[in-house]
Amino acid sequence: MNKRPHENRRFMVPKEIPMKAKEVLPTLLVPLLAVGAWFAVSALGLVPGYLLPHPLTVLDAGLHYIFGTPGTGAYGGRFLGDFSASLGRVLLGFSLAAALGIPLGILSGRLVLINRLASGAINSLRAVPGICWLPLAMIWFGIGIKTTVFLVAMAAFFPIYQNALTGARLVAPIYYQAGAMLGVSRFRGIFAILLPMAMPNIITGLRLGMGISWAYLVLGELTGVPNGLGAVIMDARMLGQIDIILVGIILIALIGRLCDRLLVALMRLCFKSARRQS
Amino acid sequence: MAAPAKGMTGDGAQPLLEIVGLSHSFAHHGAAHPVLRDLSLSLRSGELVCLIGRSGCGKSTLLKIVAGFIPPSRGHCLLAGRPITRPGPDRCVVFQEDALFPWLNVRENIAFGLAGKRLSRRERDREVDRFLELVGLRGYGEYLPRALSGGMKQRVALARVLILAPLILLMDEPFGALDAQTRDEMQELLLNLSQEREQTILFVTHDVQEAVTIADRVLLLERDCGQIREEIAIELDRPRDRSAQLFQRYCSRLHQELRQ
Repeated sequence: MNKRPHENRRFMVPKEIPMKAKEVLPTLLVPLLAVGAWFAVSALGLVPGYLLPHPLTVLDAGLHYIFGTPGTGAYGGRFLGDFSASLGRVLLGFSLAAALGIPLGILSGRLVLINRLASGAINSLRAVPGICWLPLAMIWFGIGIKTTVFLVAMAAFFPIYQNALTGARLVAPIYYQAGAMLGVSRFRGIFAILLPMAMPNIITGLRLGMGISWAYLVLGELTGVPNGLGAVIMDARMLGQIDIILVGIILIALIGRLCDRLLVALMRLCFKSARRQS
Repeated sequence: MAAPAKGMTGDGAQPLLEIVGLSHSFAHHGAAHPVLRDLSLSLRSGELVCLIGRSGCGKSTLLKIVAGFIPPSRGHCLLAGRPITRPGPDRCVVFQEDALFPWLNVRENIAFGLAGKRLSRRERDREVDRFLELVGLRGYGEYLPRALSGGMKQRVALARVLILAPLILLMDEPFGALDAQTRDEMQELLLNLSQEREQTILFVTHDVQEAVTIADRVLLLERDCGQIREEIAIELDRPRDRSAQLFQRYCSRLHQELRQ
């Protein structure tokens, strides 16, 4: 009881995102092994180049795609334009999904009536594979940004909704009772108690939603969009440029990971309840 | 059936808490399952009353009704002459389980109830400091609840309600989950605080020794009839010596009553 606080200081701050070499190395190990295997396969000629080009060829194509002068070759220097187009679509769709999914999920988690109204329809819709929406979206919204945003929003909505619902439902009544006796009104309790308590689940939902957003982006850009990372991949397939396809895949993987990190960092920056509970 | 034991108001002053003819039942498989039946009791200001009974006798239910968490099926429940209709900061609860807000540190948990009061930041900080000191948690203000031991958590829980100066403090087996050593410490802390602040306390427990250690009066709640069956004033000087013969006699009497 009389122990000085500094002896326990390590308990005060929740663990930071792992950054130490000891923790980073295992994370990098699998990708490094995969690249190593790729080098080996190419060097030994086990797989022909038109199926899997040499890693250095892909690296070359990637550098050209990112840093090349625009206009040189089919893909020189296109990255920035494609990236910003895709990022815009993902952010728009994702924001729509979050803006609908979180409030609706919270309401469904707390109010039986809302849950009965919403969950039947939502759960049936969730069972429909994303690709089924593509033809419909193309008829509704034509070819272009609207279709992509619709698909992204549609896909990201379900995990965000479901996790917000779970989070809201799991808040034990004792916390509302504690809040009520400390003078918190029912309305203020939503922001003072419910949302902070549900925050870990909400973040899980958002991260899943963000991940699936990038998957559906490519689906949305499959058809007739002039720019975007997904469009480049489809374009390269038509032209048989497998190196660019691989560049696109790797870039989406890296950007998706980065977005996930940024999302978590942003939530932790904005909300005490995110900082201290995850 | 014997007449329900009335809380002795002694000097005839108006009791702080007055419960008259309280009944409550839970719906269970469509049938009403009575827990409390025509129960009456009263608490004077500054009194520490223990409500003791075996599990399932409805003592927690009674506390929840006084707290305003559940409305009684029938009867009156008056605090300082006014009927209790909803939870409020004049009747604060210390729960058995940990009900601190996990995303707030100790300081913020203690200051939580002050949000509704118009205090400047400096005044609020000073209040929080005072109560941290009072419950013996100086230097732990920045800790998160999950870094605290069970006893320390209950100290925070105590501080966050005492800071609101409630008319009555309701405690629902608050030390039941603590080890014996910590429980003794907490009982002592509670006694000191309640005497200093003349705090009225309704304390629910199933631990006979705890009741005899802290209570001015012990009310025995009967499981089957849902009423106060016995009322025992503990006339022992404080601090109470648990090895004293009279202390033991109170304990064995309560044990016997509980067994019946």
